[in-house]
Amino acid sequence: MKTIFVIDASDNVATVVVAPLQRGDAVRTNGRITDRQLTALDDIAYGHKIALQPIERGATVQKYGLSIGRATREIQAGEHVHTHNVESERGRGDLRSETAKGETR
Amino acid sequence: MNEFLGYHRPDGQVGVRNHLLILSGTVYANSVVERVAAAVEGAIPITHALGRCQVAPDLRLTRRFLSGTAANPNVGAVVIIDHFEEAGCTAEDIAADVAPTGKLIATVNIRGGGGFIAAVEQGTRIAADFARQLSLQQRAAAPLAQLLFGTECGTSDTTAGLASNPANGLAAERIIAAGGRALMAECTEWMGCEHWLTERAASPAVAEAIVAGVQHMEARALASGEDIRGSQPTGDNMAGGLTTIEEKSMGAVKKLGPSPIVEFLEIAETPTRDEPGNYVMYGPGMGAESISSMAAAGCQILTFCTGGGHTANHPVMPTIKVTGNRQSYELMRDTVDVDVSGVFFDEITLDEAGDIVFAEVLRVANGYLTKSEALRDLNSFAIHRIGPSI
Repeated sequence: MKTIFVIDASDNVATVVVAPLQRGDAVRTNGRITDRQLTALDDIAYGHKIALQPIERGATVQKYGLSIGRATREIQAGEHVHTHNVESERGRGDLRSETAKGETR
Repeated sequence: MNEFLGYHRPDGQVGVRNHLLILSGTVYANSVVERVAAAVEGAIPITHALGRCQVAPDLRLTRRFLSGTAANPNVGAVVIIDHFEEAGCTAEDIAADVAPTGKLIATVNIRGGGGFIAAVEQGTRIAADFARQLSLQQRAAAPLAQLLFGTECGTSDTTAGLASNPANGLAAERIIAAGGRALMAECTEWMGCEHWLTERAASPAVAEAIVAGVQHMEARALASGEDIRGSQPTGDNMAGGLTTIEEKSMGAVKKLGPSPIVEFLEIAETPTRDEPGNYVMYGPGMGAESISSMAAAGCQILTFCTGGGHTANHPVMPTIKVTGNRQSYELMRDTVDVDVSGVFFDEITLDEAGDIVFAEVLRVANGYLTKSEALRDLNSFAIHRIGPSI
């Protein structure tokens, strides 16, 4: 069975780190959550992420125990998680408040 | 496991090496430095392209890098070779900066000494004497509280944030638990997860400095016509599976564990505090400049986490390369020290990967040569600069 890697026990996504997944593959987790089993719903390339559980639209996508963005639509367990269904909440002008002090270094 | 065997310096600091450094004060002394270092057992040359016709803030930075490197506890003796006596960065200025350490220091001026050949002769005679004096010094036990442990990442890939970096963060926590300090630079890589860092800041002033530091680096990049954030993650990052900047940055800052951040340092600045914990430093993501700034700050040892298999190695600060990518380890095993890719293949757990990195740090601190040291690969001394040459 192919493995996917979970870096924090509170995460709702895992990373494909051993072999790419094909739709229908049975996979299991290792890392900070071990031996949870699920089925890949998409082809997922090496280095890409897979949902461990259903994620509602607007909900936090969590990796490293922290938000890496929010779901732009509902995501099912086993689905590929990437830019097509997640958006950043950081580095955006509408979220910036502080301004540089103009100090010189 | 709370001690290492190091070289105790007159000022109370402890080195993990006992290097004889032949240091170039200016680009125009580089060849003399190389001749002297080649002639003397164990001598390490450091040459560079700066120290002449620099704008004032850059010359100050050059001096801070050179003085800090010579003052590093791993350096037992230093011969500084100079030519022009550039005001504000002469060999004597550097020697004066280093003098409080109490280590062996000498200066040679090429013109003052009678020219190139005379300077090589003079430098060689001094360096040979220093080498013999250093050979009498022996390692003795020191607490890990004496260790300023640096950590860096470069050529990161998917595995870095999942294996080498978190394993390193676990090792850093063990060093801190034993009373030591851990230092991370590369503030360009904190963009998108400043909040994770500021939540750990020991004071509001440290938190403000972290945010201002990232913004300052970003502003410098923008002023050059580059938008480092508009293109983050990069196209190849996204193709590799990274979705957002916060995901990319979290992978980078996982080199540290969750301990409080005690102090924010300017580039190449020595910590003013000595309590255990995390320390962070302003500076670029460029590996050689970054690790040189940490060596100049006084780091005795550094782990370099590398998905792609980096060759980076600082001349006087042992640089332990750690990868979580098995293919990179196989390709780059000449210079990559530790492979923690076993976490992906059910061979080891993440905690065990942390133990492996910690054990390697202790072993190298006790004198075990890194692979790059064994090959005398001295490639990673570089001085950060701000302005143009003039």
